[in-house]
Amino acid sequence: MSHQVSISVTDLSIRFPVYGVDAKSLKKHLARVTVGGRLGSSLAGATEVTALSNVNLKLRAGDRLGLIGHNGSGKTTLLRALSGAYEPDEGTIDVHGRIAALLDLGLGIDPSATGYDNIRLRGRIAGLSSKEIDSRMDEIGDFTGLGPFLAMPVKTYSAGMQARLAFAAATAVEADVLLMDEWIAVGDADFQKLAHKRLLKLVERAGILVLASHDLDLLRLYCNKVMRLEGGTASKVTDIRKLEELLAA
Amino acid sequence: MDTATHMLRTGRRGALFEIDMGFRDLRASFQRIGLAWSLAWHDVVSRYRGSILGPFWITLSMGLMVAGIGLLNARLFNASLHDFIPFVAMGIVFFGAISGIINEGCDTFVQASSMLSQTSLPMFTFVWRTVFRNAINLGHNLVIIVAVLIYFGYWRTMNLPVAVLGLLFLFVNAAWAGMLAAIASARFRDIPQIVISVMQFAIFMTPVFWQPSRLGANHAILEFNPFNHMLEAVRAPLMGEQAAPHTYAFLALMAVIGWTLTFAVFTRTRRRIVHYL
Repeated sequence: MSHQVSISVTDLSIRFPVYGVDAKSLKKHLARVTVGGRLGSSLAGATEVTALSNVNLKLRAGDRLGLIGHNGSGKTTLLRALSGAYEPDEGTIDVHGRIAALLDLGLGIDPSATGYDNIRLRGRIAGLSSKEIDSRMDEIGDFTGLGPFLAMPVKTYSAGMQARLAFAAATAVEADVLLMDEWIAVGDADFQKLAHKRLLKLVERAGILVLASHDLDLLRLYCNKVMRLEGGTASKVTDIRKLEELLAA
Repeated sequence: MDTATHMLRTGRRGALFEIDMGFRDLRASFQRIGLAWSLAWHDVVSRYRGSILGPFWITLSMGLMVAGIGLLNARLFNASLHDFIPFVAMGIVFFGAISGIINEGCDTFVQASSMLSQTSLPMFTFVWRTVFRNAINLGHNLVIIVAVLIYFGYWRTMNLPVAVLGLLFLFVNAAWAGMLAAIASARFRDIPQIVISVMQFAIFMTPVFWQPSRLGANHAILEFNPFNHMLEAVRAPLMGEQAAPHTYAFLALMAVIGWTLTFAVFTRTRRRIVHYL
């Protein structure tokens, strides 16, 4: 790898145009155009919500950042921006390293396909070739611990089993940067132990973990740094030992 | 914009920059063209999972339609089966490919919303997915075409390379229309209904079920109908005839204008498509 694994976010602002159910109707849109008037300023009637404003963040290899904040504070938006899905309205996001985002359990999951097929599909999305997936299939299958269930359609799985499948498939890609929303708490105790081991291995490989969660114990377990989001603005990146102070602030 | 190990996203604006980003998206989609193909295969396979015939249901239902309409219309129009069955077979099959790409284009981004909102996959990947899915369907339907061409003896007179060129024109033009439909449908939920109505109207206004000779040559319904030209470019050479030279000019011009328009819309909306969903 030519570059060190790193994340660098400068002055990141993201605004969502919110297209209400109304705004999506062509009739309203056309009516507005023909009637004239409000078009330019209000961006065709869409309201904008500022999801993140002026976020700065620098992470190096080995950093495990926890994101805390109330619902709607921008945690998931930041994770999605880091995954490359959301374009910044201002500022830049620069990520060196292969990114794996585990934000939505259902990514690339086809409920009527088998566990094996879903691992294949998800692996393809993550950038593996069919051959690479086949060569790792046994290992991924073992890790899920789902055994014969892998040959069954995913719709027969429980939420915890789906979490196992998704986590195994997503972390099978040798990612340098792992972005996670808090659903990891879904699996049972055994699985949590396995997931924990795998996450630690990832961090040992000089990767970066960004984990959004409300569970402070979980954050203390995985993270060495923490950042608080509040209405789209971010605190400084702080050491996890100062978590209480950050929460009190 | 992304190699496997480096991702850069900026809030930079400006027309040139947006155009550049649009082309990067396109390039990235070609670098991972295998992904679009895998997704398309997965779509086809999962649609027919558990059925005995699998994807050959496509062939069977199309075959039934060709036989029914072919026999009935040949009688209604008093045409010979030898001319009419191959004509109708190719019309239905290739028009099916066009309308499939455009109709299913409406779902391209909507269907991919979960992937688009948490990965940096190129947008074009999903456009190719829709195109490939319809190419796979067409592949199953080609069985009918081959059977008809052999049975009625057209394989001796057909001009296959020219037909393949025509098919390429067909796909290039259907693809931009499908992508335009994809962007517009993501933004305005009325668009899919409009597109479906238009395509339904088009199949009756285009020489699919009836022969153009019945209308008299150079009728405006034929000359200004893009679907007619798209069909002619494939069908005529397979029937051992020649498509008019202006058909190719029409298709080439349409491809250039259509792709320019689509790409312009894409560069303007690329940032926002994910928020539309």
